[in-house]
Amino acid sequence: MVRMSDLKVGQMIKNEFKGITRDLLKQYAKASGDTNPIHINEVVAKRAGLKGVIAHGLLSFGFITKLFEDFLEHGKYGKIIDIGVQMRGMVRCGDLLVTEATIEKIEGKRVQYDIIQTTFTNVDIKDNDGNLVKQFEAGERGYISEKDIERGLVKTKEVSEGILTYRERVATPGKAIIELYE
Amino acid sequence: MDVEEMKKNADFLINTMKGMDIHGSATVNVRYKNMVNFAKVYGITDPKYVGSEEQGIIACHAFANYFTIKAIYKLLLGVKLNQNGKERGIMLDPGKLLHAGNRYNWEGCVDVKPGDKLIVTGKCIDVRLVEKNMMLFTDFLVNVKNQDNEPVCNITISAGFRKGGY
Repeated sequence: MVRMSDLKVGQMIKNEFKGITRDLLKQYAKASGDTNPIHINEVVAKRAGLKGVIAHGLLSFGFITKLFEDFLEHGKYGKIIDIGVQMRGMVRCGDLLVTEATIEKIEGKRVQYDIIQTTFTNVDIKDNDGNLVKQFEAGERGYISEKDIERGLVKTKEVSEGILTYRERVATPGKAIIELYE
Repeated sequence: MDVEEMKKNADFLINTMKGMDIHGSATVNVRYKNMVNFAKVYGITDPKYVGSEEQGIIACHAFANYFTIKAIYKLLLGVKLNQNGKERGIMLDPGKLLHAGNRYNWEGCVDVKPGDKLIVTGKCIDVRLVEKNMMLFTDFLVNVKNQDNEPVCNITISAGFRKGGY
């Protein structure tokens, strides 16, 4: 149950999606009618200088609406009034897409959220001596740029197979307003 | 195309398009199958969105993407302008188009149901050139109403055109 009295500024809701694949992009292209080949055709995407297909910007948007639909239990406790996003970073197959919405303001029955959609892109795993254990698509195709490194977006962490190098980047910032019934 | 020509084209688009109503409208016939297929992309299982046709369903909010794409492809890309006696579209090279952002507003709007016939109309509300990188940005306000003239969604689409695209 979601009630106004339970909500406070700073509270966050979140979803994670790990299933961005070429098949999903094809499924989305068919469902949405957005058949721009840079999303579904490797040759065209490479010709456009993208090094491979990229996800539709609006595909990511759907995970934001889903987050609020799930939170409001599909209209049981309130409704979505407004969602605005900026598409800043490309989302690739294999990325982990994390959508977080944090309460910024509460006015009457309306709740304003700050939205951040972040992609986590795995590059490779190396052992402690620096030997390559596993390489991911981003590593093979060079999705990570010098700019990403300069901006401090490329990070490492220990995993069971060794040291994982990955990029953490904000893909879609935005705002949302929902209205609760009570 | 050199920078001077790009600036001339940008000036033309700014002067011509800012505040311009997009001629005509696009019609979107909403089918049960489209709505369900769309919801399934997101793994939505709630019967409100993916239940049987007999039970009756409504479109999930992400379905707004469906009419946004129709608006872009059918309405905005179809705009014809006259620049110095020559016909041209908003953009010269669709490959230079970047979808920069979207805002959906459902205030006072009704749900989308199978069988709805949506009418999409648009207006260009802003065009601006960022000279630092010669990107031309445009904002379009798109209104979507159903067959009963009830509002379904109001969308602001922000698009950017890279060098050589306008």
